[in-house]
Amino acid sequence: MATITDTTRKEVKEVVYNFFSEECEVDISGINDNTNIIKDIDGDSLMFLELIEIFKRKYNLDIELKTIGKYAVKHPVQTIGQLIDMQLLIIEHENKLLELDK
Amino acid sequence: MSHKKTAFVFPPFASDYPDDPFTYLPGFDDCFRKFLGRAAEFTDADLINFKIPERTFLEDELKTQYIAYIQACSLVSWFKLKGIFPAYSAGYSMGIYAALYQSEVISFLDGLVMIRQAFREVTRVTGKDSFGMCAIIGLNRDDLEPLILREDDKIEIAIQNSVCSFSISGPAKNIRSLVEAAQGEGALSTRIFTITVPYHSSYLKDAAGNFDEFIAQIQFRNPRMPIVSLVDQEILLEEEMLKKEVVRNLFTSLNWYETQLYLQELGVNRFVECGSGKGLVKNARFIEGDAITMTANSYSASLNQ
Repeated sequence: MATITDTTRKEVKEVVYNFFSEECEVDISGINDNTNIIKDIDGDSLMFLELIEIFKRKYNLDIELKTIGKYAVKHPVQTIGQLIDMQLLIIEHENKLLELDK
Repeated sequence: MSHKKTAFVFPPFASDYPDDPFTYLPGFDDCFRKFLGRAAEFTDADLINFKIPERTFLEDELKTQYIAYIQACSLVSWFKLKGIFPAYSAGYSMGIYAALYQSEVISFLDGLVMIRQAFREVTRVTGKDSFGMCAIIGLNRDDLEPLILREDDKIEIAIQNSVCSFSISGPAKNIRSLVEAAQGEGALSTRIFTITVPYHSSYLKDAAGNFDEFIAQIQFRNPRMPIVSLVDQEILLEEEMLKKEVVRNLFTSLNWYETQLYLQELGVNRFVECGSGKGLVKNARFIEGDAITMTANSYSASLNQ
């Protein structure tokens, strides 16, 4: 179980902002934590999946996609800020993510 | 200078048209209109009304196949005029007809006629029964198979796209039920396609006989460059192999994931999606290896740099 530091938080935010800026072809200044991923910048669920893979590699995470899927059903993500929060939880709890709901 | 071995890959049908998908292909629109005009003359006059900004025909199962094929053939022709030929080609699902055209196995018009006939045959055998397809992303095969069993084996994996992405075919009712179960199991993304044919499943086996007889009358030539089978990743080098492939493609499960991996083993390090969308480009991000997959537009732009 990783500890989330300010550095981790900053790194994750930077990766997420840069990722969506590039993928959705929008200027990074047009993205903020309240940006709706689907409605505002035309993002999709494949992008979410790709981000998970990026973070899995970056932080060497042990987590199954279906664990994230089950968590996401109960905690749907709509905005960039919510997505960053979820990625931080994934990094922190990995395969124990679902225990947060117990 | 790194040596690039390129494969052209062909999408099955258009599910959306991004704005200005061919900006880096000067003169492409004229080329496309020429192909579209011929297609309208010989198959369906309405095709001439196709316009990308208006998202024309997206709800019409057959016409989206025509449009994907016409776009692909126009791209092939455009690249040929520039002297650009791939080392291999592969067609995803109904993209097989464009792969055949690319490799000069069939004529443009024969490809259109084959698409039309295939559609007639598959809709004849499915009749009024309600079928469909869906995509399940985020579950692997081991997660998915128990869910399929739960549907009394009425649904089948039509295409494996990556380790955790599958297209599924079967009765519409079971498809809906599977999607619900997959979401409960933790699928990150599910989507029911707006099509009524259970492609690449045994439900279409009865279409094979008539389609085989039809294909026998079409003139095939040996391919100018190899085509890779999505059924078993065999390299198809002779016209008879290709005729068999076209028929079994209708009712046999396909594996795009293994095909793209195999092409990498053969030294392919660049895949070019010959269509207006980015479906295969996006999917490639979940396939291992160092190869890059790009749109025809990006490929053209990279050639000019």
